This record gives sequence, C-alpha cells and structure tokens, in this order.
Amino acid sequence: MQNLGSAREGARQWWMQRMTAVALIPLTLWLAASLLRHVADDYATLIAWLRTPLAAVLMVLLLMALCYHMALGLKVIIEDYVHLDRLQIAALTLIDLLSVALAVVGIFASLRVALSA
Amino acid sequence: MPRALRPLSPDLQIYRPQLTSVMSITHRATGVALSAGALLLVWWLASAAAGPDAYARLHALLATDLGLTAMLVWTFALFYHLCNGIRHLFWDAGRGFGLRTIYASGWTVFGTSIALTAIAWILSSKV
Amino acid sequence: MPAATSPRPALDWLKHLLEETVTLIRSSEQQPRVTLLRRFPVPRNFALPGNARIQHGRTWRAPPGAKRVKRFEIYRYDPDSGENPRIDTFEVDVGSCGPMVLDVLIKIKSEIDSTLTFRRSCREGICGSCAMNIDGSNWLACTRTIAGTAEPSTIYPLNHLPIIKDLVPDLTHLYAQYALIEPWLKTRGPVPERERLQSPAEADRLNGKDGKGPAACILCFCCTAGCPSHWWNGQRFLGPAALLQAWRWLADTRDEAAGERLDALEDPFRLYRCHTILNCTRTCPKGLNPGQAIGAIKQKIAQRRS
Repeated sequence: MQNLGSAREGARQWWMQRMTAVALIPLTLWLAASLLRHVADDYATLIAWLRTPLAAVLMVLLLMALCYHMALGLKVIIEDYVHLDRLQIAALTLIDLLSVALAVVGIFASLRVALSA
Repeated sequence: MPRALRPLSPDLQIYRPQLTSVMSITHRATGVALSAGALLLVWWLASAAAGPDAYARLHALLATDLGLTAMLVWTFALFYHLCNGIRHLFWDAGRGFGLRTIYASGWTVFGTSIALTAIAWILSSKV
Repeated sequence: MPAATSPRPALDWLKHLLEETVTLIRSSEQQPRVTLLRRFPVPRNFALPGNARIQHGRTWRAPPGAKRVKRFEIYRYDPDSGENPRIDTFEVDVGSCGPMVLDVLIKIKSEIDSTLTFRRSCREGICGSCAMNIDGSNWLACTRTIAGTAEPSTIYPLNHLPIIKDLVPDLTHLYAQYALIEPWLKTRGPVPERERLQSPAEADRLNGKDGKGPAACILCFCCTAGCPSHWWNGQRFLGPAALLQAWRWLADTRDEAAGERLDALEDPFRLYRCHTILNCTRTCPKGLNPGQAIGAIKQKIAQRRS
C-alpha cells in the first residue's frame, strides 16, 4: 500500500477545480439567462448580440473555465473507475487533448463572430 | 488461506442508497451530461460563425422531440450541478458538515434545481 | 395541523409538510422514515469476482410455539466448504431474545446454528468489534435495536473486504492504512520534565466539546467500509477512518510534525480521492464527523500553499 509513496501533489488540481467552479457560477448564470433571452431570436439578432464586446468576452472566459473544469472532472472519473493502466493513460490523454481542442474551436468561433466585418 | 482467495464482501450491490451517495453520483452524472452540453455549446457557436444556413440546421435539430428532451435534461443538469457545486464549495470552506445541514442543504439543492429548471422552461416557452 | 395562534400559519404549514414528506436526518443513528430504494438498481452480484458471487442458502424455520418471529437474512461464508458465500434466512423468536441485533446473533449461535461466526466483545459500543452492514448501512450490532431493523432484516459483513468467515472481514489492510498515518505523538524539541499540558480548549479539538471529536473514534471501520471511493480505490485512498485519525494528530497542539504529516497525505489518491460523498458521516455509529476532518486537512494543505 505504501507503493510508490506520496506524490506530494494533488492540491493544485483540487484548487483549480474549485477556482474554475467559482468562476463558472456567474458565467453559467449569465449564459443561462442569455440563452433564455435569445432563444427565439432570428440569426441576425443573435449575431448582433454575440458581437457585443461583453458577450464576446464573457463567452471566451466561459469556454476557458468550462473546458478546464470539464477536463479536471472527467479525469477524476476516469482515475476512479478505469484501472487498466494503458487504457487509463489513453483516456486521460484523450480528455486533455479534446478539452483543449473544444476550447480552441469554441473561442475561435466566438471571436470570428465578434470580429468579422 | 491466502488473502487473495478470500471472497470480497458486497458493496454497491447491497449498500443502502442515502441522500449523501445519491446526490454525489448525481453530481457526477450531471457533470458528464454537461460535458456533452459543452460540446453542443461549441457546436452552436461554430454554426453561428459558419452562417445562417448552418445555424438554421442546428436549430431545426434542436426543435425535434429528441432535441427538446436533451435540452430539458441539460437544463436540469446545469442547475443541479451549479447548486450542488455551491454546496460543495461551502464544504471546501469548512462549513455545513453537520449531518442536519448536509440533509437540509441536499434537499434544498434538489428542490432549487427542479424549480429553476421549471422556471427556465416556462420563461423560454413564453418568449 | 399547526396551531391557529401561530403568527405565520403559512410558514408553519410548509414546515409541517416538509417534515412529513422529507426525511431530515439529524444524527447518524436516525433511520429514514420512508425508503424509496433499499439498494441501488444493479444486479445482486454485479461486478463481484467469481468466488464472491452470493448464492441462495437455507432457511432455518422458527421453532414451534415461537411467539414473535422475525426473519434475518445473513451472509454466510465457510472457507472450508470450498463453496461460494450464501444468504441464510433465520427465523428468530425475538420474544425470547435481548433487545439488540447482537443479541439475535448470539441467540442464533447458541440455539440454531453454532457455526455462525462474528466478532464481538464489549456489547456496549466501545470496542468496535461487531461492526457490520445491517439493513444496508454500517453500524455496530450491539447498539442497533431489533425494533429498529427492517423485515426481513439483512446482515452482511463490512463492505468490500476479504471475508475470513461469515461476518468476519480481514481488516489487515485497513490497519495498515491506519499505521501509515503514524498515529503517535511526534516531537522535535527537548523532552520536557513533566507531561505536555493542553488547555481545555486545545483538548476540545481532539475530544470534542460534545465528546464526538476525532479522538473518540473506536476504529470500527464502518465509515471506510461504507465509502464508495474506498471501494474503487482502497489500495491507494486511505479512507475516512485513517484520515480522521490523521486529523486527530494534525489537530493536536502537542504534535510537532504537522508539515511532515501533510507531506505524506498530499497525494491525488491518499487524500484527494475523497469526493465529499459523506457516507462516512452518515454512518458513523459514534456520531463522529470524518467528512469534516478530511475537509479540514484539505484546508490545511491549501493554507500552507498560499
């Protein structure tokens, strides 16, 4: 059980999970309220909203916090339940890569809408 | 007898579901559901960036029964994970560990997330 | 209905309604009023290794003339038989039995089946020997009343442990995890000429003002055996019982090894596999709060990083 001893870490992941959680409280509330307001918009009105500086900035912040929080959470789940070493490493790597990709695609889309002429 | 040959006593198969464990596994399940929701959010943004046709196609997909059901599940998942996440943050700050508080806050989270889901859907249908 | 003289009848009515429909657990000994699910909806032998799959056992009928018959479904495992574990049903005349679940087990052993095997010693909730899973949650057989059990009542050994015989689990690994947190006073300074004194407030951190501090733990392992995170990662996660004791030494003002203790704990598995499920606090038969203690350790680690 002593196995390889204490990793002397884990606090950082724990802390970042909480930090991103705190950031996501106002950001998800903003997203939920905005989606409610814009759910029936036509395309042009929606784009006009997404182009406002506030919406663009908050959307980028949301995507960053969300994808970070999501990666940390999903990785804990894999560590909990998947105990085949190779499968676990593959799954953890995949989550990291896909989360970054998701954040980049989302941020790029937001910025394209916000910044295109 | 070597320890490895001894049978393992049952755990999940027989342990009584309690508010503590049920809310914890629900937090996890809603987290996974919201990861799929994050995928949709990015898809939605990408379709908005791609132009009116792509956006209209996604909107049509979401307007189907399946799409609406998924949106309902996501709405609840979002509010549950949000409310229970706040409950977790209180614990992380060292507060709310009394058993009575654990139960009171737990039921409050369930009630609040159901209420918020209902409010969100009533508001969105009125728009 | 609430009294008509109440200044806020609507609020009282709402409170009344909530109390009737929602079980608000105030202490770990309290049983829920309504049971929606006795167990999680998974197959009975879900994910159990081949030699741990539970089979149907025999039924021991109540003797003729028994006055108050109650059924107990008890996990049996005989290492000498080479057979898998099984569930035996015992019909016990609780009219001629002491009031506690432990009394039932002793009655079965002395009158019905002398091979039934379980640990017991003090019969008053202080030795922690008779910890077992009663009606789905962990408790001491000597402090759970027969009247407080379900019909039929189910009795299993503590969860997710190698079983030596019947209700006797092998606790070697859990004791090793307890030893890992080094449960003794560690000091650096010169040995004082007399005992190391504490103020009453400092002692309260260990004993608790209500006697329910971390030092009141009897190491029955009800909490660790009831922790899902320990089920899945028990080889690496220390579990609530050992971590409650880790906190007991961190909270001790006489101990001078806090930094070294935190070093040993700060690990993604040893400490941070605790996801604050809080089955531990829910089940502790002494009413202690392992969940809170683990939270305090995490706070201490966050503190020294900032």
